[in-house]
Amino acid sequence: MIRKKCVAMLLAGGKGSRLNSLTKNLAKPAVPFGGKYRIIDFTLSNCTNSGIDTVGVLTQYQPLELNTYIGIGSAWDLDRKNGGVTVLPPYAESSEVRWYKGTANAIYQHLNYLKQYDPEYVLILSGDHIYKMNYSEMLEYHIEKKADVTISVIEVPWEEASRFGIMNTNEEMEIIEFEEKPVHPKNNLASMGIYIFKWSILKEFLEIDNCNPESSHDFGKDVIPLLIEKKKRLVAYPFKGYWKDVGTVKSLWEANMDLLVEEPSLDLFDHFWRIYSVNPNEPPQYIAPSADVKESLVNEGCIIEGKVEKSVLFQGVYIGQETTIKHSVIMPNTVIGENVYLEKVIVPPNMEIPNGTVIYAREQDDVILVTEELLENLKGREGGQR
Amino acid sequence: MSKLMLGIIDATTYKEEMKDLTFNRSIAAVPFAGRYRLIDFVLSNMVNSGIESVAIFPKYQYRSLMDHLGSGKNWDLNRKRDGLFFFPSPDLPVPQIGSFQHFQQHIDYFLRSSQKYALICNSYTVCNMDYEAILQRHIENKCDITQIRHQGKSLNMFILETSLLLELISTQQQTGYQSIIDVVHDPTNQLTICDYEYSGYVAVIDSIESYFLHSLELLRPNIWKQLFLKSRPIYTKVKDEPPTRYMNGSNVKNSMIANGCIIEGHVENSIIFRSVKIGKGTVIKNSIIMQKSQIGDQCQLNNVIIDKDVRISDGTHLFGTKEQPFVIQKGTMQGALMNS
Repeated sequence: MIRKKCVAMLLAGGKGSRLNSLTKNLAKPAVPFGGKYRIIDFTLSNCTNSGIDTVGVLTQYQPLELNTYIGIGSAWDLDRKNGGVTVLPPYAESSEVRWYKGTANAIYQHLNYLKQYDPEYVLILSGDHIYKMNYSEMLEYHIEKKADVTISVIEVPWEEASRFGIMNTNEEMEIIEFEEKPVHPKNNLASMGIYIFKWSILKEFLEIDNCNPESSHDFGKDVIPLLIEKKKRLVAYPFKGYWKDVGTVKSLWEANMDLLVEEPSLDLFDHFWRIYSVNPNEPPQYIAPSADVKESLVNEGCIIEGKVEKSVLFQGVYIGQETTIKHSVIMPNTVIGENVYLEKVIVPPNMEIPNGTVIYAREQDDVILVTEELLENLKGREGGQR
Repeated sequence: MSKLMLGIIDATTYKEEMKDLTFNRSIAAVPFAGRYRLIDFVLSNMVNSGIESVAIFPKYQYRSLMDHLGSGKNWDLNRKRDGLFFFPSPDLPVPQIGSFQHFQQHIDYFLRSSQKYALICNSYTVCNMDYEAILQRHIENKCDITQIRHQGKSLNMFILETSLLLELISTQQQTGYQSIIDVVHDPTNQLTICDYEYSGYVAVIDSIESYFLHSLELLRPNIWKQLFLKSRPIYTKVKDEPPTRYMNGSNVKNSMIANGCIIEGHVENSIIFRSVKIGKGTVIKNSIIMQKSQIGDQCQLNNVIIDKDVRISDGTHLFGTKEQPFVIQKGTMQGALMNS
């Protein structure tokens, strides 16, 4: 095996249980986003665009659709003779299948994968976030700072800091303390869950962590505090730009709406930093004479006969006549009938919304995730309102 | 069963009537229907009919065609066994479709292939045709050559046994047949020539006029529904464009729009290819705008074909007619003053 300078390990095993029915049969990284993408496309495209050509993707829950989607990685130009993308499921031994006990344990189970390439550095990523980032700049920073571990951080509003893992740093950007969801945060630099490790350090500390029966085998909770305790050189890498955890229905909706403002801070049209994805084979979208489409993102294969405003439409969506869609996200191949009114909703893939359905969020902050159950309940009621 | 059939695409044709769109490309590579090239239709039909070995015979300006097809991956034709073959013969004079002289130069392909039958097609016919069914009929009726027709006119698509094709190629000196067309036109030969009448939608693109007519015809749902079937998709080279953005002030009616566009103006009865920008206050009607062209603000376009990479500056007015659309060539600039 040819030696690699930097190998990426992408943690894609998240359950994403706060996304409710969207992740019932789907791993969180495979959840659709932005009219044609899946969440994991952003991290995989960042790898390719940063020149990282060896990526291990660690999967666990509901892996079928995710594994099929990743395939041999050709969509991201990661089908390589040496390196490329490798899907790494939990190891099944003769006696038992060992589920990942935590993020650190997931990597620990695949140390052999890393040993094959004997890299100098290991980049640890999660497949849960929407952002564009040049990892090679972070790696340069890591080398320049002579760090053992570099952790990417982002400034969050002080009032939200207690929701994140907060890094307390000195002027040198050295991390002196890590606090998971602190009640009284001392800093507003949140960990983005992106780490660069010296390979030797990663190996050493994963072995130590594995032998500790008290550990929950998690990077944030166990490994990082241990590294600080052992006086290793941990450095924070400040990231500026769009970064969003789309862990809830609300935040997934918000991140989609962020793409519709006049000048979105996440630019999907940047040809120098393309977001790659598996392209469906659909004809161009057809906008009928009766249609009216404003301030929206619409993908190929859509047929629009109704009114669409400030919404995101994935491939193969049909919108019937006299129907109005506002502030909504309609996922792939969903068929919406006539005289339907939807506002502030997310409609999952492959659904059929019958004629005359009316669904909108009442509360100011509510976003409704449309489910088969909800449609069933609406059937009996006049006007089908919620 | 079509694994038994070779797909042969004759991409040698040059049409004077298409010249405004074929300065830098062969007819096979002319952009069509928002995101395709003409050859995508015949090639996808072959693949959807189970054909696994396709040979393309190009002649003129095949750079853009090669760039488009690449390894054949997008059509699932990047195979260890069989797959996509490219046989240019730029020096040969090519009288008409299915030239035996052209095939003769690459006779090894035919000799090495084990497929029993061969399908010969041109590159500029737009349809969604199942060749498997036609082959079935060819075998059942014990035909020597099947000629596919539409409304009585030959579509220049033929099915015959590979061994017969080889024989016709090797005996061209004695018989005087220069192409498959000569063979079917000769009433004196002993071969059983069958006609297969295809009743589905067909568009033959052989002039700017027919290009314009058939492009805008796609806006009729009963027509594009015959062309774009979920079960038999038309494949093309994949571009990683984001979805199209409709801005505040956009107003689009009865149009086909590909991905990666940013639309701020009015678009009506038009076909917009990938990555096109349409500025504020601009009105585009009955027009075709090809990929990556940028139309400025406050422009007015009617009955216009704009090729790739064209820039139209703010305030430009361009008008053609239904019979004679105004064509703007690839990579040019068009300003308000140039036209006045």
